[in-house]
Amino acid sequence: MADMAPRKTTARPSGAPWLSLKYREMLEAWLFVSPTFIGFLIFFLGPLVAIVYFSTTEWNLLSQQSTFIGLRNFENALLENPDFWHVVRNSVVFALGLVPLNMALALALALALSRPFRGVVFFRTIFFAPVITSAIAWAIVWKFLLQGEGGAVNQMLAWIGIDGPNWLRQPNWAMAAVIVTRVIKMVGLNMILYIAALQSIPRDYEEAATLEGASRRQIFRMITWPLLAPTTLVIMVLTTIGSFKVFDHIYQMTGGGPENGTLVLAFYIYQQGFKFFNVGYASALALIMFVIVMALTLVQVMLRRREME
Amino acid sequence: MKTVIKLAVSALALCALSAPSIAQELRVTVWTGSDAHLKMLNGIAAGFIAKHPGVTVKFETVPVADYTQKLTFQVAGGNAPDVAWMMEDAAPAFENAGLLMDIGPTLKATEGYNFDDFSQPAMALWQKDGKVYGVPFSTSPFLIYYNKDMFDKAGVEDPNQLAAKGEWNMQKFQEVAKKVTDANPGKWGFEFKDGEGYASRMTHALLPPVRAYGGELWADGQCGLDKPEAVAAVKQLHDMVFKDKSIVPPGEQGDYFSGNSAMTVNQISRASKMPEAGFKWGIAPLPSGPAGEAPVIGQAALTVFDSGKNKQLAAELVAEMTTKENVAIMAQFFPPARKSVLESDAFVNSNKLIPAEQMKNVAAAIVNGRVHPAHEKVPQIFAAMAPRVDALWKPDANVEEALKGVCAAIQPLL
Repeated sequence: MADMAPRKTTARPSGAPWLSLKYREMLEAWLFVSPTFIGFLIFFLGPLVAIVYFSTTEWNLLSQQSTFIGLRNFENALLENPDFWHVVRNSVVFALGLVPLNMALALALALALSRPFRGVVFFRTIFFAPVITSAIAWAIVWKFLLQGEGGAVNQMLAWIGIDGPNWLRQPNWAMAAVIVTRVIKMVGLNMILYIAALQSIPRDYEEAATLEGASRRQIFRMITWPLLAPTTLVIMVLTTIGSFKVFDHIYQMTGGGPENGTLVLAFYIYQQGFKFFNVGYASALALIMFVIVMALTLVQVMLRRREME
Repeated sequence: MKTVIKLAVSALALCALSAPSIAQELRVTVWTGSDAHLKMLNGIAAGFIAKHPGVTVKFETVPVADYTQKLTFQVAGGNAPDVAWMMEDAAPAFENAGLLMDIGPTLKATEGYNFDDFSQPAMALWQKDGKVYGVPFSTSPFLIYYNKDMFDKAGVEDPNQLAAKGEWNMQKFQEVAKKVTDANPGKWGFEFKDGEGYASRMTHALLPPVRAYGGELWADGQCGLDKPEAVAAVKQLHDMVFKDKSIVPPGEQGDYFSGNSAMTVNQISRASKMPEAGFKWGIAPLPSGPAGEAPVIGQAALTVFDSGKNKQLAAELVAEMTTKENVAIMAQFFPPARKSVLESDAFVNSNKLIPAEQMKNVAAAIVNGRVHPAHEKVPQIFAAMAPRVDALWKPDANVEEALKGVCAAIQPLL
């Protein structure tokens, strides 16, 4: 605070101010947000606009030849290329598996860990630790654990008489495996959000309900769950977006295989853009993904709003 | 105002004075980060700088995993290096895009260069219509690495002993792999290259046996994997994986370098990993097959970008780096393609880790070896192949049908 005073005097010349207070404040405000705003323009909005243009071209990165082809890239993806719909289907399956599982588990953990008891911090830390673990390291370790015969998971299953599958080599099991391992990695984040939300619910409500003779289940259904609704919406939107953007996990664990069983949209875009250098086509795909995620988010927000009314 | 002018003038003068030295920096992209490699490269560059005063040479390390990708982005950004190490699978795409300079005239005009000293098979990938787009600095054959301890435990002769008797062939390979597996429970007889035989190295896993049987992955725009020779070779591998259980199967990790497999295929650069492996080891040629010996080599070359401002100078640098003397220096790390160096005692004794007897295997494989088939669209071909190859590596797969599927998927791209 101390250094604020001299600055004010130097900023205001002795004569009449050359800007009225209102404009000066506006200018200051803009100056304050400008570092972030300029960064946003250059690193976010710029590329976003550029991608719209790229998506209308056929651009070979190596030979530097770019031809305007209108909507051909979109036509190709949506109508002609069978891979595209296969990939979208995989992404949807991934999201449908991941989002409910992640949210249910996060809520269950939050309910268990939102009250103080001995060791609660320890358990919260345990469940949150995977979130800050490197995604690549996480995937490598799971690749070891999920080996067909020598893997720890299957060895444990063998103790209880189950002959486990070769997890990462069979398309359906591989999808299940990447979903579950991703949930375990990311659930801690949603758990923390839920714990925060639970702790902000005044205890009076619950006490009043208990006095009225409500069961724990009733309290959860009639009080806790409705009050968690805004948090649930945020978590749902963020988790859905995250599930469509999943890349590093797939890249390391399955590389999109086996038999393209885990080839999801973000990985497919990477393949087209950074392996085949089809920049135009990859840009079109990225735009399509943008629209899908945007639409899903809007639908979720609208549903929620209707529910709350 | 006067001060400003004075300052500007002196700045200009400074620029003019220093211009010759900063104008000519040659930037060379490489994928090695090894201090020993960079020291050697800088030493070679020092010789060049001594002959060209005012020129500097800067080696820029780009991580190997996304080397080609980063190089592509540098080119796209109008910032191509002057000289670049180029991987064999990237060469056709860069060549066809017209990005590489024909350095043939410069090489041939260099005094004492003797261009014909380079082994012809080794140069095949880098020459087209009489033009020379690169000079291989590393021509590294695929070899069998074996774990002598595991062979001894099984009481089986090792690949070199078998090779000496002329018995080191695909049949014997299957036989010993099975015996060694049986004698070392929980381990395997063979691991595909880098443990990636079902993923990023799927074609490297198939190529040596397919060639030993007289087949090819593809040639002249025709897929070769559904031909009888290739089918027979892959059937044998399939039996080894799923019947004999002597090759590390899909979804398992059986790292040779940690002692979990008795054999693998790799190149001599990996010998540097062996001292810490903790077991007795050796290198042997690839097993021969019905079609005789079919050595496979991996290559990397020095190339010059046509867009460079100093491309003539860059071409001279490449010539300097690949003279007979410098190739002999590089040979300690990178197997040479110059016949005179290959035949020299210096080369056979150059690697402290590998006995001279075994280095002769390396030299022989370089002279006769052929690279992995090239194609402009290798990334697309691999991506199209991957799901079909996944279908092949299943216990109940019909190998012939699966290989037809692979060919159907890649034929349009070829």
